[in-house]
Amino acid sequence: MKRGELLGSLEHIILLALARLEGSAHGMIVRREIEERTGRNISIGAVYATLERLERKGYVSSFTGEPTPERGGRAKRLFRVEASGARALQVSEKTIRSMTADSNIRWGNI
Amino acid sequence: MRRAQPPAFACWFLDSVVPVPYREALLGDLIEEYSLRADSASPIAARWFWSQTCRSVASILWSSLCSGDWVVSMSIAIGVYIGMAMFKLIADLTISKVLAPGQATYLILAPVVFLLTSAVGGCVASRIRRGATLFLALIVMITVAALIGIKVCATPVPWWYQFGFLCLGPLAVLIAPAIVGAVASGDALQPGE
Repeated sequence: MKRGELLGSLEHIILLALARLEGSAHGMIVRREIEERTGRNISIGAVYATLERLERKGYVSSFTGEPTPERGGRAKRLFRVEASGARALQVSEKTIRSMTADSNIRWGNI
Repeated sequence: MRRAQPPAFACWFLDSVVPVPYREALLGDLIEEYSLRADSASPIAARWFWSQTCRSVASILWSSLCSGDWVVSMSIAIGVYIGMAMFKLIADLTISKVLAPGQATYLILAPVVFLLTSAVGGCVASRIRRGATLFLALIVMITVAALIGIKVCATPVPWWYQFGFLCLGPLAVLIAPAIVGAVASGDALQPGE
């Protein structure tokens, strides 16, 4: 496993949110999906900063949508998970599973 | 029905600070979600908008800092500041030697020149790269504070005179590009229209 394939926690959550949304989604939808599922009220800036980082790594790609009046005439930036992003998610999930499987960690004592 | 308008100052702040790759999409997303929230309770929606603005700016600035993007903005800010300092030096010399050799006139003209230089510097930095204005404002503030600290002004002046330089200089750097943009486009402070 390459070192760069390990995801940070927010990267992991955002990639999972994008994968759950299927197809493409913009920052606001990703933010709301995370808020609804985890109760974490993360900022839209944190979502975009992470998506930008994921795009630099080649895990997601983006394209510009049409500007709409309800957005003050501003265009959406839609993101979708790339094959390498899906692979990184699998590697990350596998890593977590292998670390937690057959463990006798007593959470109450930590 | 007229759509609820998000806080204009928060929009302008985001527009001035957030780097180009995120700016349009991020502000559009915030305005879209605000319009959904504003239907129920506008003060709560405005508070939410401000909270998102402040936290987003912190996240993006931290991310830019980690990725090294700030180096370019900082370099532009330093370049513009050097230009501003040279212009201010020439203007100060011209005022004190040619236009107004008297100390009193100089004390009146010096802040005017300083504010004009800061405003023009802010516009130039913003034109090159929006994120540079924040660094320029910071440089202006630190320089003025240092000059006050080493008591560069030989003439005794009231505290508010120096305090004015300290606050209005960085403010001129930050606000002038927004005013120029609003005047040029006519709608820079009304993002919902």
